[in-house]
Amino acid sequence: MSTTTTATTGKLWGGGKSPFNVEYGKLMMWYFLMSDAFTFGAFLISYGTIRFSTNGWPDPNEVFRSFPFAPEGVHAPLVFVSIMTFILIISSVTMVLAVHAGHKMDKKGVVRNLIWTIIGGLAFLGCQAWEWTHLFHEGAWWGSNPFLNADGTASSTNFTNYFFTITGFHGFHVFSGVVINIVMLIMTLMDKFEQRGHYLMIEKAGLYWHFVDLVWVFVFTCFYLL
Amino acid sequence: MSNEAVVHAHGAVAAHEVHGDHHHEHHHHETFISKYVFSQDHKMIAKQFLITGMVWAVLGGLMSVLFRLQLGYPDATFPWLEDILGKWAKGGRITPEAYYALVTTHGTVLVFFVLTAGLSGTFANFLIPLQIGARDMASPFMNMLSYWFFFAASIVMLSSMFVETGPFSGGWTAYPPLSALGDASPGSKTGMDLWLISMALFVVSSLLGGLNYIATVLNMRTKGMSMTRLPLTIWALFFTAVLGVLSFPVLFSGFILLIFDRNFGTSFYLSDIFINGVGALPNEGGSAILYQHLFWFLGHPEVYIILLPAMGMVSEILSINSRKPIFGYIAMIGSIFAITVLAFLVWAHHMFVTGLNPFLGSIFVLLTLLIAVPSAIKVFNWLTTLWRGNIRFTPAMMFAIGFVSLFISGGLTGIWLGNSALDIHLHDTYFVIAHFHIVMGVASMFGMFAGIYHWFPKMYARYLNNTMGYIHFWVTIAGAYLIFWPMHYQGLAGMPRRYYDYSIWESFKQFAELNRFISTVAMIVFAVQLLFLFNFFYSIFKGRKVTKQNPWDATTLEWTAPIHPGHGNWEGEIPEVHRWAYDYGKDGKDFIPQTTPVGADESHH
Amino acid sequence: MSHSTTHETHGNGTSEIKKVTIILTVLTIVELALGFWMIGMEHDGLRNAIKGAIVILMLAKAFYIVGYFMHLKHEIRNMIMTIVVPLALFVWFIIAFLYDGNSFRNLRNTYDPHYREQSTIKVEKKEHGAATHGAGEKPAENKGAVESKH
Repeated sequence: MSTTTTATTGKLWGGGKSPFNVEYGKLMMWYFLMSDAFTFGAFLISYGTIRFSTNGWPDPNEVFRSFPFAPEGVHAPLVFVSIMTFILIISSVTMVLAVHAGHKMDKKGVVRNLIWTIIGGLAFLGCQAWEWTHLFHEGAWWGSNPFLNADGTASSTNFTNYFFTITGFHGFHVFSGVVINIVMLIMTLMDKFEQRGHYLMIEKAGLYWHFVDLVWVFVFTCFYLL
Repeated sequence: MSNEAVVHAHGAVAAHEVHGDHHHEHHHHETFISKYVFSQDHKMIAKQFLITGMVWAVLGGLMSVLFRLQLGYPDATFPWLEDILGKWAKGGRITPEAYYALVTTHGTVLVFFVLTAGLSGTFANFLIPLQIGARDMASPFMNMLSYWFFFAASIVMLSSMFVETGPFSGGWTAYPPLSALGDASPGSKTGMDLWLISMALFVVSSLLGGLNYIATVLNMRTKGMSMTRLPLTIWALFFTAVLGVLSFPVLFSGFILLIFDRNFGTSFYLSDIFINGVGALPNEGGSAILYQHLFWFLGHPEVYIILLPAMGMVSEILSINSRKPIFGYIAMIGSIFAITVLAFLVWAHHMFVTGLNPFLGSIFVLLTLLIAVPSAIKVFNWLTTLWRGNIRFTPAMMFAIGFVSLFISGGLTGIWLGNSALDIHLHDTYFVIAHFHIVMGVASMFGMFAGIYHWFPKMYARYLNNTMGYIHFWVTIAGAYLIFWPMHYQGLAGMPRRYYDYSIWESFKQFAELNRFISTVAMIVFAVQLLFLFNFFYSIFKGRKVTKQNPWDATTLEWTAPIHPGHGNWEGEIPEVHRWAYDYGKDGKDFIPQTTPVGADESHH
Repeated sequence: MSHSTTHETHGNGTSEIKKVTIILTVLTIVELALGFWMIGMEHDGLRNAIKGAIVILMLAKAFYIVGYFMHLKHEIRNMIMTIVVPLALFVWFIIAFLYDGNSFRNLRNTYDPHYREQSTIKVEKKEHGAATHGAGEKPAENKGAVESKH
């Protein structure tokens, strides 16, 4: 194999076929995700810039410390968000399994894993909705920040502004990912892919879903850990 | 979801044409709607982009004539202005609000709608499939969506001119706080909301287009068309698409934050603001410089989005009409690539006087001046391509040479402006206006004209009228220099841009005559563009018919397609490519098309 | 092989998926452990070192997601380059933005005494329970205040 690769490299780029051995749709999905990475990158870098140009910043462990159904006064920083993170990671794993099943033309496997992925996505959105509601009741919203800086001084509203904007934009991506996955599920159940003879669409939907997970890795770190 | 629709649509086309090796004439029904309106043929979409771009160019140009009227004749009144502009020109004199609205819209429209959509939208769509040997774009459906998003953006922008408070008037860069606060000026109210919606639609359009161009160039090249056999037009359009795909999202993020600042009480860009008549605002902690960073992270690549397609087309046209191979083909690709990379590293040279950290500024100076290297490589390669060539002075060639001239004269002043120390004096003066209009605005328009004159026969199977073409060229190039050359002097004398009336300033009164002169030339140049428009539309229907498949004796693939190519471009099989695109004057032959196999006794280039 | 369609197996068996899942889980747990360790810690060198470690772990997670879940590692090398090279632009993007953000803070602290003074005055800490009470109106009220000025 490896000896033939050098010989075929010229042919790969020689026209008449994809140099990457990838159909155009997947290529476009990759480059779309790259451009979307710049959208999120710009958001997170703006957040960093504002944080760097501000004296003091709220301590995330003071802000994100509540847990559903926990009695008042129980402080559990990081716990709830770690659950959200794991939900997303697991849903990413089930998505890989769905893509994997698609490669093997295993319709049942695709359906089962897609359903798990959709459930994971919805669970994540549910968690986010709860967290937003909770913060809203604490007085946090766009343009309103009830939290103090870590050193006890008054904080600007940009802490909540960025939190809601960026997690909202991410949540919007999760939501569209869930919608895409539901469409994929319906198409699988209707045997669309069996008729086409391949499950490439699932692969593209998978790329999108993993990207959503990837973005969360960065959002989670920037807002909850740093 | 849209993704899925795309695949469906593509599936239909692909089965029919793209993979149809046994291609036969089309017998399927094409209605007026599917052929001229919601067309998925890249050639028709290119024409749609071109004509929409031309409509905007006329509107944008007319706006410049109107505000030049104000600058040239600040004391005069023109009753007919009130007839067409109504309350915006009370008593026949353009109001300050209208003046700023005109300046802003002129900038937005020319930069984005004409020189981005109109230029790369037209020629990327038209040339990529034809020159790489593809039946259509990778996804014709997305290509169609790209145009219609642009069309929607156009409609929204157009409608913003008719709202009560007027279109946005805070400059095409839309810096906050002026753009973020409705109370700041009348133009910052509804006009700004519509401006943002329009620009958001435009970003979507350019992303849809750009992703398509990239995927097409990578995946759809015909057999034998390796990357290093591509004409330079394709390389330039490819990197233009890369620039757009990576930089427009950042602008999009910046706009989303701006929308929140405008409507939802956030302070991303706002801090410590007092508005006359309103009082102090509660917003605190934001940074207006942040917006400028985000804006120019797109804004600087944007000037190369505008310039690169022109460079690519000029390279091609110079080579064809000099009957010589392009000089330094690989160096040309390398310099396009270098420009693409550097485009992302230099954005803050637009911000030297904003309070940008001076040390950071010094790094931006260094990176900015580096751009001179690839630019110089390109210029010298163009000149050496012309050197001892057997030059055919077609109108397209004239415009291509004009482009080189303008790029040199405008580029040199860029070296001044790239120095942060000099920029302190020159920033926001007419020197800047002169610089970027010559190097980016007029030069790219010249590239666009060159492209139109050159590929018009392929687009409409007729020639443009040459006499009108020569008049168009000479008046435009003379006019461009007469308009913008004096502005350098005004700028060096400290005359700031965006002022409504210079006659009340002791320091700038001396330029009253010069301003009038510039305005007069601007009107003449505008009139000549109308002549071009007449030529364009007249020639579509009445121009001299193209009878030769390859009227310019060019090597590239688009001239192997029929004179009237259908949807699918080639009848029968797509031609295979055997050589690079620049075999002119080789082995005693005037030119060898790319489709000719390499002969046994042929010399190596 | 040259006629291979996209069906070809990308060499990601279920075992690889399992392996990557475990790695991602472990990385996340380490991140969280570091996060818990930081709670209540003084703002000093150690805290910044931990933050640096967290950023490195974050990049490692990104690598595994993109490389294995998104199969990028199994694509042709040239394709990997077309994705990775443009992402390198982020380096200067981040450095320049954050550096200038920091510089802006220094400028404000130097030339805006009011701003500097404000950021040294401690505010009475609001009780969380009290804040919860009727806090729902607060944002609305605030927003109203802003809007009424428009």
